[in-house]
Amino acid sequence: MIEKEDPVISEEEAAQYDRQIRLWGLDAQKRLRGSRVLLAGVGGLGAELAKNLILAGIKGLTLLDHEQVSEESCRAQFLVPVSAQGQNRAQASLERAQNLNPMVEVHADPDRVEDKPDDFFLQFDVVCLTGCSRDLMVRVDQLCSQHNIKVFCGDVYGYYGYMFCNLGQEHHYVE
Amino acid sequence: MVQLVGSLLKELADSLSSCKVLVVGAGGIGCELLKNLVLTGFKNIDVIDLDTIDVSNLNRQFLFQKKHVGKSKAQVAKESALQFCPSANITAYHDSIMNPDYNVEFFRQFMLVMNALDNRAARNHVNRMCLAADIPLVESGTAGYLGQVTVIKKGMTECYECQPKPAQKTFPGCTIRNTPSEPIHCIVWAKYLFNQLFGEEDADQEVSPDTADPEAAWNPEETAARATASEKDGDIRRVSTKEWARSTGYDPIKLFNKLFKDDIMYLLTMDKLWKKRKAPTPLDWQQLENSGHPQGESPTTSGLKDQQVLDVWGYCQLFQHSVESLRSQLQEKGEGAELVWDKDDPPAMDFVTAAANLRMNIFSMNMKSRFDVKSMAGNIIPAIATTNAVIAGLIVLEGLKILSGELESCRTIFLNKCPNLRKKLLVPCILDKPSLNCYVCASKPEVTVKVNVQKTTVLSLQDKILKERFGMVAPDVQIEDGKGTILISSEEGETEANNNKFLSDFGIRNGSRLQADDFLQDYTLLVNVLHTEELERDVEFEVVGEAPDKAPPPQSSQEEVNSITNGNKDSAQPSTSSKAAAEDDDIMIVDSDEEGGAPSSSAAVTTSTKRKHPDPETSETSTKRPRTDQSAAAAATDDDDDDIIALD
Repeated sequence: MIEKEDPVISEEEAAQYDRQIRLWGLDAQKRLRGSRVLLAGVGGLGAELAKNLILAGIKGLTLLDHEQVSEESCRAQFLVPVSAQGQNRAQASLERAQNLNPMVEVHADPDRVEDKPDDFFLQFDVVCLTGCSRDLMVRVDQLCSQHNIKVFCGDVYGYYGYMFCNLGQEHHYVE
Repeated sequence: MVQLVGSLLKELADSLSSCKVLVVGAGGIGCELLKNLVLTGFKNIDVIDLDTIDVSNLNRQFLFQKKHVGKSKAQVAKESALQFCPSANITAYHDSIMNPDYNVEFFRQFMLVMNALDNRAARNHVNRMCLAADIPLVESGTAGYLGQVTVIKKGMTECYECQPKPAQKTFPGCTIRNTPSEPIHCIVWAKYLFNQLFGEEDADQEVSPDTADPEAAWNPEETAARATASEKDGDIRRVSTKEWARSTGYDPIKLFNKLFKDDIMYLLTMDKLWKKRKAPTPLDWQQLENSGHPQGESPTTSGLKDQQVLDVWGYCQLFQHSVESLRSQLQEKGEGAELVWDKDDPPAMDFVTAAANLRMNIFSMNMKSRFDVKSMAGNIIPAIATTNAVIAGLIVLEGLKILSGELESCRTIFLNKCPNLRKKLLVPCILDKPSLNCYVCASKPEVTVKVNVQKTTVLSLQDKILKERFGMVAPDVQIEDGKGTILISSEEGETEANNNKFLSDFGIRNGSRLQADDFLQDYTLLVNVLHTEELERDVEFEVVGEAPDKAPPPQSSQEEVNSITNGNKDSAQPSTSSKAAAEDDDIMIVDSDEEGGAPSSSAAVTTSTKRKHPDPETSETSTKRPRTDQSAAAAATDDDDDDIIALD
């Protein structure tokens, strides 16, 4: 739970987030404002996730992806410029992702998620794994549960997809 | 293109790249939709939107950035979308879809039209154009966490207007002018006041005490006497509010004392009104200024600045400052200038906040923050990116079914807030067949309207009945009197002389028939006239087959989703500026009901009964969406057992 800070919402943020503050309230917006999220996998699903999280006004989003941009990447998602073939997918997506909302700290990390040590994950409030292996998801899920970090996993296959979330034994939410 | 063909059949992929589609609206749904279309492989896309980008759009209309504020939505959306696929052929129109340039021939270019609108008038219009051109239309809307998508195909499905939609809620004049009991009444009054002082004066937006209020009279003769007195001026020249204000130089304090002291004291003389109600207490500027009020800031809360509720003196000052600003705006614009109320114009919003709150205070209501007043005055519908993203995804999926020639597999899909008993958030429903009585898509549409032919003007017929109520844009009207007398011509100036005449002046009476055409929409409506002298106060006409306007009873989920996805302009607060500067958000229901779909749709799990109106007490004459004919017709689907139909 993001209770560490009580971030003040600036006038600029109040104007930009007005329509969503009217939906989920100011307190929820402040909590978003203080949260850091990890997103592993910046394919089609990851890009949508990135967009939605960044637009919502979280504190920071780390895009983690070791893959290279291929011809298909540009077709699958809208953050990677058509000219970026051969580059790391996370890094290639960074500019457009950041432009979605300059008030969010967006980082790109080209490493393999499997190679990340435990404490890497612990710096986040929420971890999102897209297109990851089962082994990894199990490992991260177990690790994060112990530290009350929320975990969301998902993938898509043509017209089908799934999402799984582990929000801990007890969690609070706003509707 | 490898992945595309993997999921899509080759024929479909080919038709995607050759066909032309139209997206109406480049806002919340529109941005997501454009992105989806481009990534799916659509190559020829036209997008139209009359609006420009505002900072409040940026939380969800992701094709726009801060630097684009003020620019055309359609234009910027096109530019951003082209980045995803530079070879796509996107044409942007910064224009209203109701412009006659976009005629049936224009629509016929497209294989598919997708709405991403936020208001009913435009939806009605596009509905008619697609019927006229016989092009499939995917209709959609969102509000908060809720959303809906449906498909409209001439002859096969209901059109957008087959089911009457609840009309915009209006309040009686005497409630607004004499006896407000809720904050919304005061807010509507304040908006009327804005127009009377600074904008286009409207006879239906009076703010002064209503002496002809039937409630004020102790006996019927008195009512009649008061009504006559208020109509005649005797020797006193009636001065309009604006003229009076001008004569004082828009002096805020003089205005204040008239509106919040003198007029209130006048209301107090109408003692019958206050027999059973708490009487209003007038405000006096001098007294308020003199009385002790804390100079410093009230204790800071962690809320937004706009969420603070000031004290009375605070709103007095806000009133003064906003009047001064608006006065300057008027002066700048020059002779005969009129302002249009805009919630995003700070002094205009300040003015309504202040005036409404002062009135609330006078009538013993708790005052509201600017944040809350803005919601109500501006008809704001809360909106987020994700709901629009889901709906835009569904729009494309329905679109693909249409292009594959699989119209029978198209559905209406509701996005609910809570999963139903089958744990579904997305609930598909079978599409209904066209309504045989539909006043738009039936083969010879006809309606019956009750009016007082001696008191209804030709202009009212045109604007309030044909345009507002029946969605025509440029009506032409003939009387079916054997001579084909032309009552209204859509050509400017031709029948202007008729505007202020009464219908009876043309021999129109009980049983008369009028033929109304909108040639752009390729639409002819036969109007049967019933003369009546017994309409409710403030009601100019009644469409037979519908109950008079009243506040809709609490609805449950699906019907609510339906009615709310029609547009924020259809919400409870009447639009009070002539150009209806209401929120441009995508339509959605304001979440006033907790049951986001769960209880009612769950009841339908095992049966496949046709969707019925969830509220059994509401007859078909309700202003909600009545279901007149739906027996439990089994609409069992043999494919997907997820197709839930009935609610309750």
